[in-house]
Amino acid sequence: MSPGLFNHSIIFNLILIVTFSVSVNSFSQLPNLNILFYIIFHLTFIYYLFYHYHYLHFFLGFIYGVLFDIFLLNTIGTHLICFVALISIYIFMKKYLFLLSAYQISITIFITLNTIIFTEMLLAFLLDNIYFTINYLLRFFIISIIIFVPSIFILNKLDK
Amino acid sequence: MAPRFKVKVLQTSKILKNAAIISIVLLSFFLVFFSKSDYLLINSIKSISSNTITPITKVISSPLNFISNLANEFNQFKNLKFENKLLQEEIIRLKKWQTLAIQNTRENRVLKRLLNATDNNLKLVKTASLVNRNDTFFSKLININAGYESNIKQNMSAINERGLIGKVIQTSPSKSRVLLLTDPNLSISIKTVSNGLFSIVTGVGDNKHLISKFIKDDQIPKVGDIVVTSGTAQIFPVDLLVGKISKIENDRFYVLPFVDFNNIDYVQIVTSK
Repeated sequence: MSPGLFNHSIIFNLILIVTFSVSVNSFSQLPNLNILFYIIFHLTFIYYLFYHYHYLHFFLGFIYGVLFDIFLLNTIGTHLICFVALISIYIFMKKYLFLLSAYQISITIFITLNTIIFTEMLLAFLLDNIYFTINYLLRFFIISIIIFVPSIFILNKLDK
Repeated sequence: MAPRFKVKVLQTSKILKNAAIISIVLLSFFLVFFSKSDYLLINSIKSISSNTITPITKVISSPLNFISNLANEFNQFKNLKFENKLLQEEIIRLKKWQTLAIQNTRENRVLKRLLNATDNNLKLVKTASLVNRNDTFFSKLININAGYESNIKQNMSAINERGLIGKVIQTSPSKSRVLLLTDPNLSISIKTVSNGLFSIVTGVGDNKHLISKFIKDDQIPKVGDIVVTSGTAQIFPVDLLVGKISKIENDRFYVLPFVDFNNIDYVQIVTSK
């Protein structure tokens, strides 16, 4: 493993650990904070996958998928399926993604982010009967729009 | 010789990578499958991961927890004057009630002795404190610091001084998970105190209200009626305080629970005697 790869691996994994920890805990006075960190986790995971794919991402997706399912839903399924499916789809689509410009990749990350969150909600409804109102969907969408550009900018800076 | 050796190494690593990927995909499939069938395996995975990961996540999120507590204290401080006035009024009201209650308790004790009746149907299993909260957008859960080593079992009821909080859904040696009343996946059978109308309520998902899912004989109760557990589903003990009917809308009613779910510190795990 080269020193550069090692450095950004540590940075991205630290971001993933921190955002995971905050998104599975709730704070009564800061109600939207775990939604915000939940979105940042997904965004970082997708960014890390798109720009630094390594087969060890499957382990990461597996571990975080199981942990998110246990902590947020108490049944294993929704997040695990989504993360493993996301990485599998990425492997098949990788050759087409290489043809895209930086701007187009950013748009793809945004679309992937919202698609994966809505898929998780759909699977949570189908597998565990967890209901989501339009209010929740809109809250996720609006927060993802607000934080997308600054987050991508910061991730780019960290990634050099 | 050197290039041939290099090619061989690359092939082996590619096989290893593919084998790792396939095994993870298969393992994921088995975990998803067994989470719906094999409760023993899944419960042990859940308890091991909860016990090891929860302290780590708690430490990492402690700065934000500190900010949240600070904001809470600031809000309480802001409302101090208003709350003081309310409390003074309440003290005067409660003093009047206290005199009446002492008389009633005495009368009650005498009548119970005459009827040879038992005191109540509740058995306290354990009083535990809150470890952390998982009441997120997916589910409304809290973790408490007592598990099956303290005789806590699944489906036992969790209460506090204000009333019913929820039910235990998972236990590990020293921790348990409690599903809160406000979770849309928890249904409880209730009855009104005033006229004994039976119904089933479930969480709305707004972390505040419960909504009726089924009303026996379609008899709508009145706004302000106090509701308690009916005990008909044999999960919750009978007569645990749940809340007050706050709103009636389109043949359905909303219940405002007595418990403040944002301020739970201690819970009591109880079961029927």
